[in-house]
Amino acid sequence: MIQLHNVSVTYQQDVCALHGISLMVPKGDFVFLTGASGAGKSTLLKLIYAEIIPNRGQVIIDSQNISRLTRSELPPLRRSIGIVFQDFRLLPNRTVMENVAITLEVLGLGRKEIVERVTRILTQVGLEQRMQATPCRLSGGEQQRVALARALVNEPKILLADEPTGNLDDENKARVLAILKEANCRGTTILVASHDRRLIASSHKRAVVLERGEIREVHDGAR
Amino acid sequence: MGRAKFLFGPVAGRGGIVGLIGYFFRRSFLNVRQNLLINALAVVTITLSFLIVSLFLLLYVNLEGAGELWSEKVQVTVYYDRELNGNEFSALKNVIMTLEGTGTVGYVSQDAALKRFRARLKGQEALLDGVPPEVLPASLEIRLKPAYRTSEAVEAYVSRLKKIPAIGEVQYGEEWVRRLTLFMNFMRFAGALLGGFIALAVLFIISNTIKITIYSRREEVELLELVGATRFFIKMPFLIEGMLQGFLGALLALVILAAVSWAFFNHAGTFLLFNPQEAGLLFIPMEYCAAIIAAGILAGFIGSLTSLHRFVNQS
Ligand SMILES: Nc1ncnc2c1ncn2[C@@H]1O[C@H](COP(=O)(O)OP(=O)(O)OP(=O)(O)O)[C@@H](O)[C@H]1O
Ligand SMILES: [Mg+2]
Repeated sequence: MIQLHNVSVTYQQDVCALHGISLMVPKGDFVFLTGASGAGKSTLLKLIYAEIIPNRGQVIIDSQNISRLTRSELPPLRRSIGIVFQDFRLLPNRTVMENVAITLEVLGLGRKEIVERVTRILTQVGLEQRMQATPCRLSGGEQQRVALARALVNEPKILLADEPTGNLDDENKARVLAILKEANCRGTTILVASHDRRLIASSHKRAVVLERGEIREVHDGAR
Repeated sequence: MGRAKFLFGPVAGRGGIVGLIGYFFRRSFLNVRQNLLINALAVVTITLSFLIVSLFLLLYVNLEGAGELWSEKVQVTVYYDRELNGNEFSALKNVIMTLEGTGTVGYVSQDAALKRFRARLKGQEALLDGVPPEVLPASLEIRLKPAYRTSEAVEAYVSRLKKIPAIGEVQYGEEWVRRLTLFMNFMRFAGALLGGFIALAVLFIISNTIKITIYSRREEVELLELVGATRFFIKMPFLIEGMLQGFLGALLALVILAAVSWAFFNHAGTFLLFNPQEAGLLFIPMEYCAAIIAAGILAGFIGSLTSLHRFVNQS
């Protein structure tokens, strides 16, 4: 469960990115985060994986307050969260296979198991032919799917996806959405930041609309 | 096990600790391969640095060797204007041997002295024809132990020697011993100073070189932090990589130096006025080589550890 209580984030003392946000995402939920560019979507996601700490308010992930995490508590929390970064953050010197394997290596799995699981997830996102390529040889959409595969391969409790369909055509968008829904069915709590209204509408999921750092409205998604 | 669990934490996972260590080494070697250019640059820089260090050591070892060779010649001579008989000599020798610092004591009879003199005058021996041996004094030649070959020590030794009754006229090359001592002291002092500077500079260069290789991969460090790698997990491959760079750099420097000095020792005779093989030139002793390799590994380790300290520290 993800809980935000009256959270404010200010960058460099003056840029107010989030202002008094309260939000609750129950376990197993699937929520979209939408709003104009600069509304604070990425900032909100960064709070959840504790890349930033709120200036005011509480962020609580499965009863852990991220402001009070010790050095040794942070890595385990992050290992339970899969993240698709808006800028992918793929490592340019490693192959697609190795990039996806990172999340499993961090968990300390054996080599054989890693290869099996990485192959399976890459097949699922349609990149089984490109496993030995380096990211710079891939199109933007392909890179995005690699980032998605890396976030999902360890079956995280929470998946945070920042614009996971930004560079994709309709067919691949539908495919990504299907993959996200499938992960959700297996119990993963999903939070997706996206501008894509059509995608959100077609998903029939809850959508939180941000505007200049505040929550403007919540669409409940059901028809 | 408690300690291991603390170190590796849940990271050891299903792969086990052995699997984890295997992973660290595999990852380090892959990292070297995938960042070949920057690694090669680092190794070249480290090699050049260690080449300076080992060249310096080579120079120092040879100067020190030359000094030792010269100091062999430090000798105290006691002259007698008559021959000593066997009993007199052995009695004197026994007393002198009890003096601290005495190495060996030898007797040069008047006859032997003349022969020596004759040998020195090679080609003009005729000058000495008809000269009786009694013209030259007989003498005791005392060699000192290495630690007593400085001018102060020799002086002190001679004053103790003179207290022995029945000792003749004592001579030693004061001026020469003084100069030798000055030279050795100066060399040791300059060597320590220069060596210290070089060591510092090399440590600085190596740690900065490694800092650059790590800095060029800070994305990797950041990403690993974001996917929940522990600091230990992030640092290990970099540390191994740094030690590998240091090891390779030091090894390469020694190999190059060995090749160059081998070529020099064996072929320089053709264009130098002396034959380096006969001049007794030395290569760096084995212990120093081992120390250089160890220093390379250590510098690599410290270099990566201090650079990582900068990048891996979020909360
Ligand atoms: N590191 C930073 N330093 C300073 N200001 C920042 C930083 N990151 C974000 N901001 C500011 O915070 C605000 C919210 O940024 P955020 O990245 O959360 O927006 P977003 O909703 O994700 O936008 P987009 O849809 O373009 O990705 C913006 O005004 C942005 O300029
Ligand atoms: Mg964003």
